[in-house]
Amino acid sequence: MKPFPELRPAPWDLAVVAAVLTLALFCGVMVWGGAATGLTAIVTADGEEIDRFPLSAPAGERTYSAGGYTLTADVSPDGIQITASDCPTQDCIRTGRISRSGQSIVCLPARFILRLEGKTEINSSGVDAVIG
Amino acid sequence: MLKRFFPLLLCVLLTACAAPAPEPAQQQVIAMSIVMTFTAYGGEAEAAVTSAAEQMCALEASFSRTLPDSEVSRLNVQGRGTVSRNLGELLQAAGHYCASTDGAFDFTVAPAASAWGFTTDHFQVPNPEELEALLPLVDGAAVTVENAEEGYDVVLGDGQSVDLGGIAKGYAADLAADIFAASGIERGKAELGGNILVWGTRPDGAPWRVGVQDPARPGEPNALAGVLELENAYAITSGSYQRFFEAEGKIYHHIIDPSTGYPADSGLTSVTIVANTRERPEPDRPGNGTMCDAYSTALFIMGEEKALDFWRTHQQSGLYEDAFDLVLITSDGRVLVTAGLADRFTPDETSGYVYETVS
Repeated sequence: MKPFPELRPAPWDLAVVAAVLTLALFCGVMVWGGAATGLTAIVTADGEEIDRFPLSAPAGERTYSAGGYTLTADVSPDGIQITASDCPTQDCIRTGRISRSGQSIVCLPARFILRLEGKTEINSSGVDAVIG
Repeated sequence: MLKRFFPLLLCVLLTACAAPAPEPAQQQVIAMSIVMTFTAYGGEAEAAVTSAAEQMCALEASFSRTLPDSEVSRLNVQGRGTVSRNLGELLQAAGHYCASTDGAFDFTVAPAASAWGFTTDHFQVPNPEELEALLPLVDGAAVTVENAEEGYDVVLGDGQSVDLGGIAKGYAADLAADIFAASGIERGKAELGGNILVWGTRPDGAPWRVGVQDPARPGEPNALAGVLELENAYAITSGSYQRFFEAEGKIYHHIIDPSTGYPADSGLTSVTIVANTRERPEPDRPGNGTMCDAYSTALFIMGEEKALDFWRTHQQSGLYEDAFDLVLITSDGRVLVTAGLADRFTPDETSGYVYETVS
C-alpha cells in the first residue's frame, strides 16, 4: 500500500485558508449585513434626478425645491420622512417614514419623488402592490 | 496543483449561491396626476422601463384636459381635428365601450364633471338647472372617429368635450404591455396609480400578490379588502374614495353618472376589473387594460345588480377579448368576487367584510 504523504502546511495551503475566510466573511456581509446599510435614496423633481445619497450618510435634514414648493426631509440610518412641506395636499408628510427598498414618498403637486433603492426583498407574506 | 486549487474553486462556486436575485430595472414617473412605477426583469429591461416612462409623459401631453396645448384641449376647443394614432385609437375604443355599456361609461361627460370642479380642483355643487342644461352634451355616440392618412379625423358634437380620465390609465397599461412584449421582458409590473399590469410571475416563480385597498380605510396603506394572486393580467379599480370633496356635510365623489350628471350613488364603493393580457386583436385596437378601465367606471355607475348582469352576459358571450372578472365592494360591507377569481382571491379576515363568490 502506498503510504500517506506527509501532511504539512505549505504556503499555498495558508493562502487557501485565507481565501476561504475572506469569502466566508464576504458572503456573510452580503447576506446578513447588506439590508439595512445598502439602501440608496434617489430624489427626482419633474423627472430629473436632483439628489442621490446612501442612507448611511450622516443623519440630518435635507431641503429640496420642486415645482415651486419646498420640502424638508429628515434622514437617518433607519429611514427618511418628509417633516415639512408647503404643498397643498401634505400627502408627502402623511406617508411617514420609509425604510425599505422600493418604498417611496411622492408629492404630486411638487412632482417630487423620493425613492429607496437597494437589494429587493421578495415578500412571501405581504403584497407586491396595492390597487385601489 | 489542481488538488490545491480545488477548494478555492469550490469556494468561488459556493459564493455564487449567495448572490442576490437579479435586480430589476425600475423607473418611476409622475404623469396624468398619478405615480407610475415600471419594474422589469430580463430582456431589454432597462430600455423598456425608460421607454415606458417617456411614453407616459407623451400620453399626458396628448390626453390632458388641463394642459392648454394638449391634443385633447385643442380638440375640445375646436370641436374637430386630426389627432395622433394614440389619441385616435383610444377615442375609438372609448366609443366602443360607451356603446357596449349602454352609456354607463361615457367619455363626453366632461362638461358635467367640470361643473363639479373635478377638472380644476375648484370644487363646487352645481345647481340642478345648470346640470340639466349640460346633460344633452353628454353623448359619446355623437362623436365620430375615422381613420385618416395620418392619424384619425375626429368630430365632436356641438358644445361637446371629451375627458379620457376614465380610460386613459388603462390605455397606459396597454402601452406598457406593448413595450414589455417588444422588449422581451420575462417578468415585471406597471403600477399606475392604484391600477396594475402584472407581467409573468414574480422572480420566485409565484404569482404577483396584489392587494385591493379597503375603500373604508383609504388613508391606511396596509388596509386591504383582500389579496389577488395574478399572472399576466390587468387589475384596474374605480373607487368613490379616490377623489371627492365635502360640501355642507355631504360627500361628493368624482365618478359622475352620465345619465344624471351627479356623482354615482350606486351602493358600490369600489369596483376592480381583472382581465388577462393578450395581444392586440387588431393593430389599432388597444388591449384589455383599456377595457378594464372603462368597465371599472361603468360598473361602478351601474351598481351591484346591473354590474353582475353585465358580467354574466359577457361571460356567456364567450368572447375571449371581453372575458373579465370582478371584485365589487358594497357600502353595506360585502365583498363580491366573481367565480373566475375565487381561487385567486384571499379575503382579509381583519377587514370585517362579508365575502361572497358570485357565479
